[in-house]
Amino acid sequence: MIKLQNIEKYYAAKGLKSYILRHVSTTINQGEFVSIMGPSGAGKSTLLNILGMLEEPTYGTYEFMGEDVTSLNERKRIELYRNHIGFVFQAYHLIDEMTVAENIEAPLLYKKIGSAERRSRVADMLDRFNIVGKKDLFPNQLSGGQQQLVGIARALAAQPSIILADEPTGNLQSAQALQIMDLFKKLNEEENITVIQVTHSEVNAGYGSRILHLLDGVIKEDVNLSESLKP
Amino acid sequence: MFRLNFKIALRNLWKNKGYTLINVGGLAIGLASCMVLLLYVAYEWGYDRQSKNFADTYVVYQHQPSSTGTMSWAWTPGVLAPDLAASVPGAVTASHSSYPEAQLLTYHQNFFKKPGVYSDPQFLKMMDYKFLKGNPDRALREVNSIVLTETMAKNLFGDEDPINKVIKFNNKEELKVDGVIADIPKNSSIIFDYLMPWSFWETQLPFIKASGWGNNFCLTLLQLQKGQDYSKANELASQVLRKHQNGATGYYSLHKLSKWHLYNEYQNGKPVGGKIDQVRIFFLLAFCILLIACVNFMNLSTARSEKRAKEVGVRKAIGSTRASLMGQFMLESLLLSILGMMVAFVLIEMSLPYFNGLLHTELLIEYSDWKFWAVFGGLTLVTGCIAGSYPAFYLSSFEPLQVLKGFKMTGSTSLSVRQVLVVFQFVFAACLIICTAVIYQQLNYIKGKSIGYNKNNLIEIPLQGPMRANEQKMKLLKDQLLKSGAVTDVTFFSRSISEGGHNTFGVSWQGKSPKEEVLFNYRSTGYDFPKTMGSGMISGRDFSPEYTDSTNVIVNETAVKTMGLKNPVGSVIEFWDKPVKIIGVMKDFVMENPYSQTAPMIIYNKMEDTEVVLARLNARANVSSSIEKIKEVTEKLNPGFPVDTKFVDDSFEEKFQNEKLLGIIANWFGGFAIFISCLGLLGLALFMAEQRKKEISIRKVLGASNMNILTLLNKDFIKLVVIADLIAFPIAYVIVNKWLSAYSFRVSISVLPFAIALCLSLIIAILTVSVQSVKVAKANPVDALKYE
Repeated sequence: MIKLQNIEKYYAAKGLKSYILRHVSTTINQGEFVSIMGPSGAGKSTLLNILGMLEEPTYGTYEFMGEDVTSLNERKRIELYRNHIGFVFQAYHLIDEMTVAENIEAPLLYKKIGSAERRSRVADMLDRFNIVGKKDLFPNQLSGGQQQLVGIARALAAQPSIILADEPTGNLQSAQALQIMDLFKKLNEEENITVIQVTHSEVNAGYGSRILHLLDGVIKEDVNLSESLKP
Repeated sequence: MFRLNFKIALRNLWKNKGYTLINVGGLAIGLASCMVLLLYVAYEWGYDRQSKNFADTYVVYQHQPSSTGTMSWAWTPGVLAPDLAASVPGAVTASHSSYPEAQLLTYHQNFFKKPGVYSDPQFLKMMDYKFLKGNPDRALREVNSIVLTETMAKNLFGDEDPINKVIKFNNKEELKVDGVIADIPKNSSIIFDYLMPWSFWETQLPFIKASGWGNNFCLTLLQLQKGQDYSKANELASQVLRKHQNGATGYYSLHKLSKWHLYNEYQNGKPVGGKIDQVRIFFLLAFCILLIACVNFMNLSTARSEKRAKEVGVRKAIGSTRASLMGQFMLESLLLSILGMMVAFVLIEMSLPYFNGLLHTELLIEYSDWKFWAVFGGLTLVTGCIAGSYPAFYLSSFEPLQVLKGFKMTGSTSLSVRQVLVVFQFVFAACLIICTAVIYQQLNYIKGKSIGYNKNNLIEIPLQGPMRANEQKMKLLKDQLLKSGAVTDVTFFSRSISEGGHNTFGVSWQGKSPKEEVLFNYRSTGYDFPKTMGSGMISGRDFSPEYTDSTNVIVNETAVKTMGLKNPVGSVIEFWDKPVKIIGVMKDFVMENPYSQTAPMIIYNKMEDTEVVLARLNARANVSSSIEKIKEVTEKLNPGFPVDTKFVDDSFEEKFQNEKLLGIIANWFGGFAIFISCLGLLGLALFMAEQRKKEISIRKVLGASNMNILTLLNKDFIKLVVIADLIAFPIAYVIVNKWLSAYSFRVSISVLPFAIALCLSLIIAILTVSVQSVKVAKANPVDALKYE
């Protein structure tokens, strides 16, 4: 599904190149649950941003679903956002002026889905995340964990094939974090949604099927958990 | 999508009530100012456009070349109208009419002294006044008939049917009411309360019937056929006078009726505009104020960008296009401008009566007129679009990545755009302050300029009915007035002292070249004229009962200069082909126009020609009781005529109407512009405060005092305002210079207005900004720092 070849990212400052990513090549298949780990400044977030097409690599090629998306025009990129990619942010980034239900509905509106279908999908999401009672509340009336649930519900509403999560539990207490990770795992296993998350926590990474260890912009280690668990 | 965006826009507005208030308030004031000014411009523009044929109707002007340049006026001989109607091909009709003059109408107990016009049936047809009662085809045909306006009819008759009733004119003649027409709109050049037939005028003033081409005493209107070539008719009209008067140097021209009010000034026989300049200024001002309000809106909405950026980023990440985001922001600004318009509507309705009182106009919102709604809606739309364009463009440009990384306002470019906007606003505001100051300076200068006589406590009473031309009665009046103790001096004068007119080319003297034509003002006075006026004689003596002064005249200084007389007193000159002797020279005094040079004047002593009483009130007596006494005395001598005393300084004040109006409008709308600009500045201050919160917190932690912080924050704004002032000064100088150059007596441009503008703008700016910066300076640094 995702194929990175020799991705490099650097900033040139006063003639010196400061590298964020170097020679990153990897393939991620449909249905994988990948965690990107590494110390601060290793380039985790940059890699995720490149995967999410929020940033362009300086060098290298990136194929998404068999299509070269290294440098994509805005219209096509938005098309991919609408149909294939769901983002989950560390700071939730719900729209403050919208209620819970409206936040979940927003991507469907952009996808131009009919109102009946929209309503059923929003209801479905609310149901699934047990937040029906909160659908008319605004984000600032919810706890962090609940906000992140809404964030994930919003990402899932458009039925993406991949979810990109940048430290989704970074701002949450551990109990809530576990709940979110369980959710990701369930989605990954039951609906075959590809999940790529950036995380600091070994525990969280343990939920995935594969870990990419980054250090100073280079992939140091690529551990396949499902295989390593097998005897 | 639209519904959700709409809902979110409403929620946004509600959530940030302060912002909404400032924004809507700014837009409302801008829109209301713009609309009021536009209403005024439309009102001025609509002058004389009420009749069906206004586009084909022309006013005849006469031009008279003379040694001092060609003079032009809209006074023509009575014989011109029939001649034009017959001789100009394509002429539909032509009419002659008098200029309005106040006369007394009485019906039973009701009497009113209101302006009336003598005219002919052609005039009625041309102006197509709407007849409410009576037959328009038969009106003004009988000699003793009259046509009233609706208000006049109501005043005189109440609810009675006025048709065929007889009213008394000047307590003498009887006139039968032939018809009632709708009231004349205030924005007409010819304003009257009733119309009387031309033939009736001829019975009143017998000379009219006999007068030929040399006497200019009436207004001539000419209507051409639709689409008729104007230049050909004009060419023909210009030759009419030469055809009838051998060797005449004067000529006629046609002036569009619809342009009479706004383009009424002639210089050397060529039209040079007139009030249109003022209307243009107001038109420009209307849009500048609106623009300022829009700029304000831009400032405020982009200042909140940090708050909106997150939403933009997230929306983009979940699949929104830039266009749809722009649409959303445009929707919000449209919503605000509609809200602003609603408030503006209320403001307009509330302020119109006040402005109407101030400007002596009849501005009103015509709810049934689609044009009003079109302009109204159009303005709202345009405002929304202009105001929303930059914020929409700017806010929708945020990259989602910036949001993901935690939004940092890097935008030094965006800030500079905002700074440019604020500078623009203040340039405009400073220009207005300077212009207002100069207008008031000029007004004071002209008012304070010596007018050659003492206008305080000087009153004027028109001679009416049997009083006029009755020397016996006039003498009696003078004696009784003096005896009553209400006045100290009394004289008679042939025109209102503050009016023009009554001028002639018929003065010649030794050494005058036969080609030279000099226009003299001529007036007739009673005895004690210089004494009553409080202006002395320079040499010679005043008219006096001790001499026979029927062939003696007094001239003014300018006349002496014009004629080049070394020893004026005793010289003999020719006045209307008769020799007269100069017995005295009077100081120049201002009559009609305080702005122009005094014209030469010749004064003779003939009581029959005088029309008003001039009296100096007793300075030691109470003014109102003096007036009462004067009324009592006059009424006893001249029963049946209401006495209207007029203070000369009041009528003098009316001459400054135009400048006053300009001053008032510049003052009001300048104030609004400054107020709106302040809102913009407040917006910028809010933005700066938000942006520099962290910097300020760090400074405070490092030991900066509140005062240090305040100076730091205010410094930047003061810089902006000073820059704006520096840009505004040369612009204002040019504008003011151009405005003043139209006056022959004018103040020299001083530093004062500029100093006022600088101080005022700085004080206002510092006050505005401090509201915000004090809050920031006092804030607890921890609040800002812990979010990093």
